[in-house]
Amino acid sequence: MAALFTADIENRGLVLDPRTKLFVMITLVIFALGGTGSDISAVRYGTIAVSILPVLLLMTARQYKKATVFGILYALIKSAEIFLVPNITGAELSIIGLCCLIFVRLMPGLIMGAYMLSSTTVSEFIAAMHRMHIPQQITIPMSVMFRFFPTVLEEFTAINTAMKMRDIRIGGKNAGKLVEYRLVPLMVCSVNIGSELSAAALTRGLGTKVRRTNICKIGFHIQDIAVLLLILTLYIFWILGMFGVMK
Amino acid sequence: MKGKDLINIGIFSAIYFVIVFIIAMLGMIPIFLPLLSVLVPIFGGIPFMLFLTKVKKFGMIWIMSIIMGILMLLTGMSWPPLAVSVFSGLIAELVYKSGKYKSAAKAVITNGVFSLWVAANYLPLFFAAEKYWASRQNYGQDYIDAVTKLMPTWMCPVTFIAAFVCGIIGGLLGRKLMKKHFEKAGIA
Repeated sequence: MAALFTADIENRGLVLDPRTKLFVMITLVIFALGGTGSDISAVRYGTIAVSILPVLLLMTARQYKKATVFGILYALIKSAEIFLVPNITGAELSIIGLCCLIFVRLMPGLIMGAYMLSSTTVSEFIAAMHRMHIPQQITIPMSVMFRFFPTVLEEFTAINTAMKMRDIRIGGKNAGKLVEYRLVPLMVCSVNIGSELSAAALTRGLGTKVRRTNICKIGFHIQDIAVLLLILTLYIFWILGMFGVMK
Repeated sequence: MKGKDLINIGIFSAIYFVIVFIIAMLGMIPIFLPLLSVLVPIFGGIPFMLFLTKVKKFGMIWIMSIIMGILMLLTGMSWPPLAVSVFSGLIAELVYKSGKYKSAAKAVITNGVFSLWVAANYLPLFFAAEKYWASRQNYGQDYIDAVTKLMPTWMCPVTFIAAFVCGIIGGLLGRKLMKKHFEKAGIA
């Protein structure tokens, strides 16, 4: 589960600029989740194309297993929405219809989020935030947070195993203590690790008034331009559709 | 605000988000989706109450709230959570500030206000509904009626109220656990 939040620098295939990823994410939020321009058919097909993009990006990041699972799941739900929903009635309609309604719109963004978190290193993220002139008050907590996620998850897994051994689990003898006996140890050890981490971070110059440097090279390359062009096409379709040039 | 405060925000945001993340996994089962605004404020209240004991300067709660909004944007839950969290975070900050950053009762209310961003996750589902129906007239009125019955517009304020009330319950739960464990251990 820790691999969900951290990037494997050695083996991650094609590297995109963090800002490109952010732009793809915002586009997905506008078109796939927000349903903007869904009355224009060109935009509707474009949205489907852009919705598949995160799966392809996961492929380029060599995360084939994740890409396959998400890709099949999305294809199933999308085809259910197109072929199944118009042909059913009654109770099935409300359940299947609601699932389709929610997941068809949420999934592209969620897949993109999974790709974003698992393919961006903390340094790259901070460098990109710095270039976008986000204040230090936001970037420092966020960098600490991304650094801390794997640690919290690791501790949580260990605590979870220990509590399962004591039969404090769903369906176990002491199920009532389920939450308390997991969260309290997690917080006590997190606070302790956290104070060590903050000492380490201070030695690396976080929180000082001087401008920090970053050895991480970020910038737009050919793959970024390809992705951005694809996304821009969708926006152009939308604008043309609004003026009535396209339907 | 010094470096150490900012690092504290990061640490507690991480713990809080891991809890949100584990609960959100439940939300993948559609029945649990509306329950998110109940479960997240309750369980998130436990680390948040501990976080409040570390808050001594203006802005810490606000920043954590904004970070939660940014995380929701990054994980694909659209922009309304960020828009709401910027305001609810500021209000939460002012509420806790009015108790001079140590009032226990104000801390519980702060958790309630802070939790409002969870409910904002549903906003796109309510807001964009009309546009969504406009493009799906060919599905027939049956489908539209069936889905709107399950997600009526009045659910929107209800999720916000649920988040606030559960935030207060979570705050009380957090206080109880803090008295029981953390004060003894000397970390609260």
